[in-house]
Amino acid sequence: MYRWILGPNHLVRSELDSMLDKILTEKFRKTLRSVFKDIQHNQNRREQEKLVEDELRIKEKLLTTVNPYPSDVVLGDDYLVAAVDGSGTDRFVVHDDIRVHLLSTSTVVLDTNTRSEFFFAPIDKIHLENELDEQPDIDAHWHSSVPHDARKKMTESLENIYPQKNIVDLVLPFFRDYSNGKIDSFSDFSDTEFASASEKLREMEDLVSRSQSLTNIVIHDELRKASEYAAIRTLLTSDINPKFVLIDGAMSVFMHPTKHYPSMPSGFMLRDLCSLARQKGVILCAVSKNHTIPFAHKIAKMAKDKFGDGAKWFCHLPSKFDSGGGLRIIEDRPYIPPMLAVPYLFSFSRDNRPSRIDFDRIWWLQNIFVSGDPRTTRENEKALFREIEFMSRDARWYGYPVPLALAHESCKLSYEDVLLAREICKDILKEVGLGDWKTHPLREDYNQ
Amino acid sequence: MIGRHILYVKTTINEQFNVIEMNIDKDRLGELYGKVGVGNQTTLGIMGRNRDISVGEIFMIYSDRGERERVFFFRVLGLENYLRQVDDMSRIAGTLMVEGDAYLSGIDRNMLLSLGGRMLGYAEKNEKEEWTFKSPRRLPDHLASVYRPVPGTSDEFVREMLASQTDGEVHIGDLQVGEKTLDVPVKIPIMYLPMHVGIFGSTGAGKSNLMMVLIKSIIDTNLDAIRNPNADKPRLSAFCIDPHDEFAKGVDNYGIQNIVKDMSPSTRTDIIGDFYYLTTHKSATTRDIRAYTREIRILYSEIQPRDLYSIREYTAEMSSFIDSQYHSAGENWIDSILNMAEDSIPGSTSVQTLRAVKRRLSFLERSPIFIDSGTSILDDIFFAMETGKILVVNTSLMSDTEQFLLTTIVTRTLSDMRRALKSSGNLGDFETQGKKRLPPGFFNRVKQQARAFYGKDGVSDSSEVRDPRKLPVIQVTVEEAPSILNPVLMRGQSVFKDISRQGRKFNIGLLVVSQQVSVLDNVILSQMNTEINLRLGNEREIRACIENASVNINGFENEFRVMSRGEAIVTASYRELPLPVRIPLFDTIYEKDRHRYKDKKSKKDEKHIL
Repeated sequence: MYRWILGPNHLVRSELDSMLDKILTEKFRKTLRSVFKDIQHNQNRREQEKLVEDELRIKEKLLTTVNPYPSDVVLGDDYLVAAVDGSGTDRFVVHDDIRVHLLSTSTVVLDTNTRSEFFFAPIDKIHLENELDEQPDIDAHWHSSVPHDARKKMTESLENIYPQKNIVDLVLPFFRDYSNGKIDSFSDFSDTEFASASEKLREMEDLVSRSQSLTNIVIHDELRKASEYAAIRTLLTSDINPKFVLIDGAMSVFMHPTKHYPSMPSGFMLRDLCSLARQKGVILCAVSKNHTIPFAHKIAKMAKDKFGDGAKWFCHLPSKFDSGGGLRIIEDRPYIPPMLAVPYLFSFSRDNRPSRIDFDRIWWLQNIFVSGDPRTTRENEKALFREIEFMSRDARWYGYPVPLALAHESCKLSYEDVLLAREICKDILKEVGLGDWKTHPLREDYNQ
Repeated sequence: MIGRHILYVKTTINEQFNVIEMNIDKDRLGELYGKVGVGNQTTLGIMGRNRDISVGEIFMIYSDRGERERVFFFRVLGLENYLRQVDDMSRIAGTLMVEGDAYLSGIDRNMLLSLGGRMLGYAEKNEKEEWTFKSPRRLPDHLASVYRPVPGTSDEFVREMLASQTDGEVHIGDLQVGEKTLDVPVKIPIMYLPMHVGIFGSTGAGKSNLMMVLIKSIIDTNLDAIRNPNADKPRLSAFCIDPHDEFAKGVDNYGIQNIVKDMSPSTRTDIIGDFYYLTTHKSATTRDIRAYTREIRILYSEIQPRDLYSIREYTAEMSSFIDSQYHSAGENWIDSILNMAEDSIPGSTSVQTLRAVKRRLSFLERSPIFIDSGTSILDDIFFAMETGKILVVNTSLMSDTEQFLLTTIVTRTLSDMRRALKSSGNLGDFETQGKKRLPPGFFNRVKQQARAFYGKDGVSDSSEVRDPRKLPVIQVTVEEAPSILNPVLMRGQSVFKDISRQGRKFNIGLLVVSQQVSVLDNVILSQMNTEINLRLGNEREIRACIENASVNINGFENEFRVMSRGEAIVTASYRELPLPVRIPLFDTIYEKDRHRYKDKKSKKDEKHIL
């Protein structure tokens, strides 16, 4: 009927809009109803029982409020907070089986600046770029679909991207942390499960033990992570000396199921960063809005019931190594908590869903956790979250750390940016004698 | 020189290499303000710094698209706050309100202003390295830099670039850039005054001050002509109606009388002559002005029927009767009608028609300025206007009808004299033509003096006449213009219809002053080539003003709504750029220039003969 409302000129359009016709039907509603009822009746029922078991512990021991700084606070020592974020596309140019990835990374450094009225002011751009080079940074990488070639090209790129070129020094931080200090060099491998690994971890390519699963997405994620980690490493080795460095995402390290070390180079890089951050006295944390914590909304409801509607709160999500053991609700999720990380759920804004923040477990054990003294541990946690809350009050992204939001704004590649980059790419292709390559997406060939 | 580079462009015509020097010093444009965002050749969107910008400000955009340097002029018609990284400002405002501890990190550098407005045109140099100004037909380069003019820095460069748009003789004000002005005088060329000028503005918009500024500028122009006799500069005459008797004494502290008083005797003689102030009652004038005052007296014999038709509607019967009386009684036609007995009405005229005509003419009998016998001022007005003088006519004690009739008689007399001149080859012809067109009494009194004005080489019949365009430009003010320049009267035999169409041939222009544009006749509006648009009273007048403007000022509605007293938008058919102008206060410019009037006249250089 609506085709007549739109007018006769839209007849062709209306025929193409058959998907809309489907979505507007009762049948589609029925499909959705069935899916969500299934979730309600199966998934939740099973998990609900676990939540009941965890509920008291969460309410009484893990959940607590943040005591925010007053809005006119003047800190004894103002400090710097940095954040790194990256963006990109894995299909910047697709030509036959060749794929060019475009990557952008941005580092933002803010000064708490409580002595002036402009809190969290970005530091001088010239100073920032003197230390870290141009911001944001843009880079491109390519590979073909031949499996070995993809691995080879990816690792070549990773070698170029990551500042730590010495592979031994790159991998050892993981083994040190993982073995709780028992391994300090390759010579310490001999009496461990990693005895055979020392010879296999000499080149960047050796660190890729999931080569059979190197899809375009995986390669892109790896390149992007490595770019972000490289930016953090440059920041940590610069003279900027931030108190916090924030990264977008979780501190997950994907482990090889049998070798028991990271299956991709980025896992080693993350542990390298954690180790370096500890040396430099920097608090490294990873913030994710998309947290994958089951029943996070229920925990938020508990917080609301306990502390009131507008309360700012956080909740420790303990692992099996912590006192009282891991939570039942996450026992089936092997990556929560991530290996060598401590996750928290938090909310600093009544309007938003809770987010997750991960800390390096080694740092956490050294700086937050006090063995046998849960009260002091809690005080340390509260002091930590007080700082994190303070950096999360920007009115544009209230409740989310402003350095990360700014880093994201700075690095994001919009649709228009990519279009323009492709136009420039056309010129370059002509210039290098590849003028017959097309840069626009394949579907546009068919007027889609 | 830093920033200067030279481009070599190969011509297609002669295979020679032309050198186009890219040499605009951008620092002279003013402060670097922002970048061009979106837009086309008509409207532009500019993203700029968070400065205190107002609607009406003019910005300059430097562009070198196609290796051709151009400076585009852009006028702000709308403003919007813009926060980078924020799609929904209301949400942010709400968060700041609800969350009392919220801040905005680094927001000062992200607070921008989004300016929307009209592209006014662009300046570029021609082959002779002269600045020319073109209507908007091109677009500045992508993300071109936008400069905000800074008074004291940009004035000279703007003056150079806009010379073709601002130069002339009659100064009306200075180029306004928002709430400030640049030292860029905006003038009207004398040659365009006979193509009529409109001054439109509501009560309190600054019309009286503008008129005084114009009178002063005309005096200054004539002074300049007298002091530079070798330059052969044109003289300018003005018959200025002063409905509130403000011009001579002034609105605040100073008036035209102060200028007259400041003049040295010889300058005064040259510029003013014996008088400049016309009023109905000389005895009611203050002593200092009285010395330069003449009483307005017009003889019945100097009134022609079409003078009456120009100020009021007459039925066909009435005009037929009047015309027949004018034909039979000649210049005594008014007496003839006023004294006509009802039983001696000629022809088929009815008693009702006679009574109606008598009623309409009865105001003449009550008027102190229209007299049956005595000495007319019309001769003096004619002499003054043909010798480049200013007359300030106090009409505050006149009725509207008296004022309109006076304006009409003066306009018609002056134009008929010049029409007679234009129709003649020599002074003999002129006398013949003059006798045909003008009341005999008046013409006989002025013809000898007219010969002196109009004869090229003497006053004999055989002397060739001068081209009216070489005579002083005469500007006649029509105050409360809608009363006589309305469509009803302009349909008939209005003298203003002829003047509006043919004035330029005789070097006579109308200065139409009105609070309303919408009610003026289209003939007069279409013949008007310069409009000084002050603040207007309502939306209808703003719309009419925009539609009537000689250049396209569509989109300026908002600006008219926020204009202050003394601000104007000047449009002219001979210019591409609508010029925002601040009219200075008369007192200010008088104080600045008063020393000039004391100077002695310089002597014309005499040719040395050996």
